[in-house]
Amino acid sequence: MWRGHELFAESLPVLVEYIPITLIYFMIPTVVALILGALICAVRVGKKNILYYLVSLFVSFFRGTPGLVQIYLVFFGLPKLFEPFGININRWDAGIFYLIATCCNFSSFVSEAMRGAYEAIDKNQIEAGYSIGYSRWQCFWHVTAPLTMQIALPNLKNLEIDLLKGTAVAYVIGVVDVMGRADKIIAQHRGYGQIWILLAAAVIYFLINVAIEVIFNWLTAFFSRHERGIA
Amino acid sequence: MNLNYKFMLEDIPVVLKALPVTLELTFISLFFALVVAAIFGIFILKKVPVVYHLVIALNTFIKGIPLIVQLLFCYYALPYILRMFEGFLGYHYDQKHPSYFAFAVVAFAFNYGAYLTDVVVSSYRAVEREQLEAAYSIGMGVWKAHIFIIIPQAVVIALPNLANYFMWLLKATSLASVVNVFELLSTARASTAVNYAILEGYLVAAGIYWIVCIVVERGLLYLNRRMSRYRGEVKAV
Repeated sequence: MWRGHELFAESLPVLVEYIPITLIYFMIPTVVALILGALICAVRVGKKNILYYLVSLFVSFFRGTPGLVQIYLVFFGLPKLFEPFGININRWDAGIFYLIATCCNFSSFVSEAMRGAYEAIDKNQIEAGYSIGYSRWQCFWHVTAPLTMQIALPNLKNLEIDLLKGTAVAYVIGVVDVMGRADKIIAQHRGYGQIWILLAAAVIYFLINVAIEVIFNWLTAFFSRHERGIA
Repeated sequence: MNLNYKFMLEDIPVVLKALPVTLELTFISLFFALVVAAIFGIFILKKVPVVYHLVIALNTFIKGIPLIVQLLFCYYALPYILRMFEGFLGYHYDQKHPSYFAFAVVAFAFNYGAYLTDVVVSSYRAVEREQLEAAYSIGMGVWKAHIFIIIPQAVVIALPNLANYFMWLLKATSLASVVNVFELLSTARASTAVNYAILEGYLVAAGIYWIVCIVVERGLLYLNRRMSRYRGEVKAV
């Protein structure tokens, strides 16, 4: 406690170096979830066939169990799943297991946000799109997707912030990101000053979250640009 | 996949025994989170000078950092604080048996308190001002008007959000396994120590979480539907 601020100043630059790694663990699920989430959403708003029920089960599982349990399941389960095929993935980096678990988890949440938004958009807009001769793809790209994004954005922002905060959990399976490094520093200084190291990590996460917030506010303004009044 | 199915079946009752701990952690944390949220909410609604800004800054900071960091923070920092109170009013801090459960509750209470503050403030503001004026006009005092008129309406408005956060909290309590709380997940892990069937243990835990979440979700949906009766507007006669 007595040299706390020194420890804080010491560990902050070390932790800052790991921001890119945390951002990788943040960006990959974001990109994957945009694609996979949209596909899941497309299945979930469509006909109720076998695929629908399978996808619903997938979403239900990943929304109904804690992220930590999913990380453990993938971490211990995937190598066992690959074992019969003679593929040994025990040497894979822990981050890959974290990414697989998180991509599935995050896609489920994003798909639900998108589904809610899709059901909220005015269906006349889509009909209007077809009426001026848009193809299915054009209609999706110029009408459905932007409108869905606009409505889903506030929810997506909260999910993205949760995703970033969730990356801190990855250290439990040995991923070395900002939190993982902080945990290592704590282990090195056994016995004192843990709270100052954690505070340094907290400040970093907070600042990244502020950046996400700013980006999303800009995106919200971009997607609702058609709502600007004609001056 | 060669899973030890026999062990999984045997493990279910063992892990289920820890379910009350998880539920206890959830409910106690939710209770204290609501207390924190109510106090913070009053500061914000009353716009108490200085405190108002401090509460908003604290809430923003809490919402911006990971829950696991807060859990570890409480895990490391609370013993220091408790040690300072040694001897105060006959309090004795037992160093050998720190209450990790209580430390986790503090972390959850402040984390979810920060989120619930928004729910409290927005649902209070969602009740029309005329309701308060009407209550005053029939001679109710401030307390009476709030307890009988405003708060019941605000609770009905807040319920869907509260239900959401309850589900989040239920799942988030699994993080407490990292800070030595013996809840469902850590019990599942400990139960596999006999034969290293770690995956089987986690599968059992996942199954239990899944079922509990589905049951709780259905229950809350039913509650919401029941409560939405009270949301109807008063029709003009």
